[in-house]
Amino acid sequence: MIEEKMIAPEHKLNNRDIWRMFMRLNTMRITLNYETLQGVGFMRAIAPALAKIYPDKKDLSEAMKRQLVFYNSHVNFDAVILGLTAAMEETTSPDEKDGINPLKTGLMGPLAGLGDSLIKFTWLPIVGSIGASLAFGGSIFGPILMFILYNIINMGMRYYAVSFGYKKGIDFLNNNQQSDVIQRISTMANVVGLMVVGALISTVIKVKTPLKIAVHSNVSSKVGNNVIGVQTMLDKIMPGLLSLLVTVAVYYILKKMNGKHAALTIVIMMVLVVGLTYLHIL
Amino acid sequence: MKVLILTILAFLLGIDNVSTKMFRRPLLMAPLVGLILGNLQASLAIGATLEIMWMGIGDVGAYMAPDLITGTMISTSLAIMGNTNGSISTMIATAITLAVPTSILAQQLLVLIETVNCSLNGWAKRLADNADVKGTYWLTWPSAILYGLACGFPTFLALQFGAGAIQQAINDLPKFIVNGLSTAGSIIPAVGIALLMMTMLKKSELWMFVILGFVFSSYMKLDILPITLIALVFAFLYERATREPEVKAVAGNTGEINNSESQVDEDAEDYDL
Repeated sequence: MIEEKMIAPEHKLNNRDIWRMFMRLNTMRITLNYETLQGVGFMRAIAPALAKIYPDKKDLSEAMKRQLVFYNSHVNFDAVILGLTAAMEETTSPDEKDGINPLKTGLMGPLAGLGDSLIKFTWLPIVGSIGASLAFGGSIFGPILMFILYNIINMGMRYYAVSFGYKKGIDFLNNNQQSDVIQRISTMANVVGLMVVGALISTVIKVKTPLKIAVHSNVSSKVGNNVIGVQTMLDKIMPGLLSLLVTVAVYYILKKMNGKHAALTIVIMMVLVVGLTYLHIL
Repeated sequence: MKVLILTILAFLLGIDNVSTKMFRRPLLMAPLVGLILGNLQASLAIGATLEIMWMGIGDVGAYMAPDLITGTMISTSLAIMGNTNGSISTMIATAITLAVPTSILAQQLLVLIETVNCSLNGWAKRLADNADVKGTYWLTWPSAILYGLACGFPTFLALQFGAGAIQQAINDLPKFIVNGLSTAGSIIPAVGIALLMMTMLKKSELWMFVILGFVFSSYMKLDILPITLIALVFAFLYERATREPEVKAVAGNTGEINNSESQVDEDAEDYDL
């Protein structure tokens, strides 16, 4: 038994099979439905690999049915689970097959959370902000840079993660030090993201008020001679102060609603701004 | 002809949104529209505004996000087509006004498709019973075409029949409303930024980094790229300083040393600019 564990399992799948899994992984979310979410897509993605692992028709049918259960995770981390499941299907003995689905189900929740926080809410906003700030300056380079940076992670990670999950997945998941690395990366990404967001507040959001204050002066005693723009005063206090105040206000309003009704907030803000413009406050 | 090309583009982007996900953000889609309509500058400004406005939007768990694909396609195209001689700020105003309702309406279509997709389960089960691996290839095709149509069809309708109406509306509306919406175009992105901050501000102490980025940008007038690089330094230090207790004793010292070093680095960066 021990000797068996020492020998690395001979991989039945070659790079071409990994490529096929990757290609089918790309279309995994298309079959999303309310019954099994991505279950159908997962079965479809792993089917070519299963066909190679199980030459016998009856085993193959069993395995395909086993993969048709409820499944949902983050698209970029599906790749890891896909490779890992293929490895499990290949290495487990017939009476261990029941352990495959619990592992799949156990992983999909945490990895979905990780994918959302790392890719959707950190990496994408960072490249989006860089791209958007370049695009505001009228540079076509903005979207191009964003596309490249985003897809290096998006597509590159998918392909790499399938083969990684298949070849090293089990060791990786048993190794606790790795989860520490992911924790560190996400902390760092968080800080970078927040600083970029802070920079965006002053570059993107432009709130200017045309209000003027007439100041009585003892010397000239003419009203209107000394008119001070409110905006000029505010800029002396802090450039972009109004932008910061507006953003913080919107943040607290949305936080009160737990991030729901963002669209409603946008509509209400539009109406407010139009009203304030009519009153010459903005 | 242009309407047809844009419809085909929307069809393809609709499929991309649920498969490869390479173009699913407004800033990546709007320039394509701008290239087709021959007004790249306007599309860049519109794309950047929508990008930041929808920044923190994403379907987390059961909450489904508005359909950015259809929303971006329709609002960008109509904003450019409906303002043949308008200023860019009017176009942005038109785009953000249209983006919200179109994306929310289009989202309902996606929900419908996901319900229709339930029928795939029976098909997949039959394939599994027969161990038919070759047959699984066709599983995604019907839904892919449906998703494409869900984006392409509304886009076609809106562009075919909406452009004139938009032009009319902009001409007929009182001046103050158009001006107000243009002003709103540079304030509305605050919603996207706020949504993003909600997901990122896990601890209240992280507020200091928002302020730091703001100060770098507003007082020092640095661009986003140098700020990102400086942010990496701060992120490294913050991570060192808040690491788990087992290694804190060691990391604390190195953190101190690094801190003084990075201070110098950072100043050097400022002088560079």
